[in-house]
Amino acid sequence: MSASHFVRERLVCNSSWKAAGLLVPGLLICGIASAATPQPRRQEQHFKVQTHPVVTLHNPNGTITVKAWTKAEVMVISNRASDDVEVDAEQMGNRVDVSTHATSDNVAPEDMRADYQINVPEDAELQIHNDSGEVNVANVLGDMNVETVAAAVDLEDSAGYVTIKTVGGSFQCTRCAGKLEVSSISGNLRLTDIHSYHVHAQTSTGNILFSGEFLPNGLYRLKNYSGVIEVRFSPADSFDLSATSLKGKVINEATLTPKAHQQHFYNRFGNSLIGTFNAGRAKVELTSFDGTINILKRD
Amino acid sequence: MAPMTCKNFLNGLPLRTEGTSSRDAEAHIRNCPSCRNITEDLNAIHSAARSWGGEELEPPAHLWTSLRSQLEREGLIRDERDPQLEPSNSGWFGRWFAGLPRPALAGGYLVLLIAVAFGFSRPVNRQVNEARWLEGTQVSTSPLSAQLTAEQDSFASFNNSNPVVTASLNKNLAIVDNYIALCEKSVQEEPQNEVARDYLYEAYQQKADLLAQMTERGENNR
Amino acid sequence: MPEAEAIRLAQQGNAAAFERLYRLHNRRVYSLCLRMVGNTAGAEDLTQEAFLQLFRKIATFRGESAFSTWLHRLAVNVVLMKLRKKSGTETSLDELTEPDEESGGPRRDFGGPDLRLSGSIDRVHLQRAVEQLPPGYKAVFVLHDIQGYEHNEIAEIMDCSIGNSKSQLHKARMRLRELLHEATRDKAREDRKAASADSGGED
Repeated sequence: MSASHFVRERLVCNSSWKAAGLLVPGLLICGIASAATPQPRRQEQHFKVQTHPVVTLHNPNGTITVKAWTKAEVMVISNRASDDVEVDAEQMGNRVDVSTHATSDNVAPEDMRADYQINVPEDAELQIHNDSGEVNVANVLGDMNVETVAAAVDLEDSAGYVTIKTVGGSFQCTRCAGKLEVSSISGNLRLTDIHSYHVHAQTSTGNILFSGEFLPNGLYRLKNYSGVIEVRFSPADSFDLSATSLKGKVINEATLTPKAHQQHFYNRFGNSLIGTFNAGRAKVELTSFDGTINILKRD
Repeated sequence: MAPMTCKNFLNGLPLRTEGTSSRDAEAHIRNCPSCRNITEDLNAIHSAARSWGGEELEPPAHLWTSLRSQLEREGLIRDERDPQLEPSNSGWFGRWFAGLPRPALAGGYLVLLIAVAFGFSRPVNRQVNEARWLEGTQVSTSPLSAQLTAEQDSFASFNNSNPVVTASLNKNLAIVDNYIALCEKSVQEEPQNEVARDYLYEAYQQKADLLAQMTERGENNR
Repeated sequence: MPEAEAIRLAQQGNAAAFERLYRLHNRRVYSLCLRMVGNTAGAEDLTQEAFLQLFRKIATFRGESAFSTWLHRLAVNVVLMKLRKKSGTETSLDELTEPDEESGGPRRDFGGPDLRLSGSIDRVHLQRAVEQLPPGYKAVFVLHDIQGYEHNEIAEIMDCSIGNSKSQLHKARMRLRELLHEATRDKAREDRKAASADSGGED
């Protein structure tokens, strides 16, 4: 072996060791870097179901979007904010239960999040608990129960028995039919283009806007403590009206026929307005403690 | 045999609509539009009612809370928990949304809140069940007002892992407290004002529900 | 937890067993009450009263009939008592029908053509018509056609004969037919009025 060959080998060896010496820390750095950056986790699951499936979802924080489709299947696409949360989705008969849970006790708030996109048959029944974020549901005609603390809830084109409960989250419902019960403490409630025969909407300090059809024999109860209740009517509507604000105002644009009703309690405290619009087929009860009640013509 | 008359056909309808039929009746329907219309109308009513009846409606959650409180007051139930009947909750997330503890918690807080408030206002023109319930609870729970204050004070340091939820619950608790204070003032000034009294009652229910939610979430962080 | 076990524990005052029984039956009882009285506030009161009576008397349940039948009997009695109080008189079940009804024979419309109820019956109109039925007719119609009970079950719940149940049901349906035709005629009249108002430019 010549000296030059030996030197070459040594150099090569040295180079190899140097490369290794650089590579290992490099790998370590990469590993540390990857551990420090949260990696989103996307999961897609499909569940075959029969008619009227029940889908439940428990989630602490995130955006939930539910849409109807024509397949006899429930599709759940979840995106986790971190590895500190896990998504469980399991099927028991015709029921699909989805939940997000923490994998450890000390999870940072920004990591405690999962977003969902769920497709369901249009006759599915939904039960959704999402403490914060958003809940959007469109074209689902089955019964629905949504509970949240601070999430905003947006429904479109629903038709079943819908119950919504929020603490501070707002609620918006467009083109909804069926039966609607919504309660909140400080959330605003916006009900537009409604074709429902039973509406019970209550918020303490939020505003309520109702613009929809008053169906014959329908019952519409809107109640708040303070804030504005605004109801818009058309000339063809037909309802018995009772509007009371204990400490606030009642502003009315409907031409009412004064009538004594056994069912209505004429409150001698505060400002009350009772009367019949056209044939009085539906019943409308508006109550506020010290807010303003506006009964206005629809444009 | 003489063909069936309309009178005979209609007199036999109660049995016929239950699925039994006779050749004479069927022949009569073929030839008599009036009786055919009546039969079809009755079948349409039956079908419409059946489809309506397909829905079983859920009563509101507060009904069980109210019922349970009444049963406790009457001494009909004990508060033992049968492990077989309790829902299984996995981890603290499951306990966030456990349906069973929350109504019981909300009901308990509601009893305390109403007893405190109605200690200084007379219930007037209440429904019979509620008046009896309130009278009963006033005596038994008025010493607990201090406990209610202490319970609420424990939430001074309420902190959930989700700051948005924490902020919302605390803010809305303050809103409801303010709302209760204003309603109580109104009821004191105008004891005959049923609407104000109803608002006060609802405010208590809201507060009870909020405290129950905070309890669940607070326990999960202990 | 099977219902039988929940009943046994409830008879000993177990809170969780009470709740189990409530959860098993609350929807059916509430639906019945709501369809009988037509408003949620009344239905809630009646549902609560029915379950209160159930739980007060549960120690006396011996299993002679199905538990659900026993509960629904209580519920129907609670509802009928409420309706009787509303009408102001104490009347028997058989009297809770239209008093001038001839026994056995159905009423017939005289004068005017028999009209078909075209297409499917509007739920809202049917609901309104049911609310106008006398209490006895309403009870049997709700139990049979809406809730799906058989006549032998209704007879046990309402303490009447099977023949009586069938007869009441038929009368209820005939009366509903009349009410629905009236509603159809009223609507046609209103539509004609609205159409002539639009074309004539009236208020």
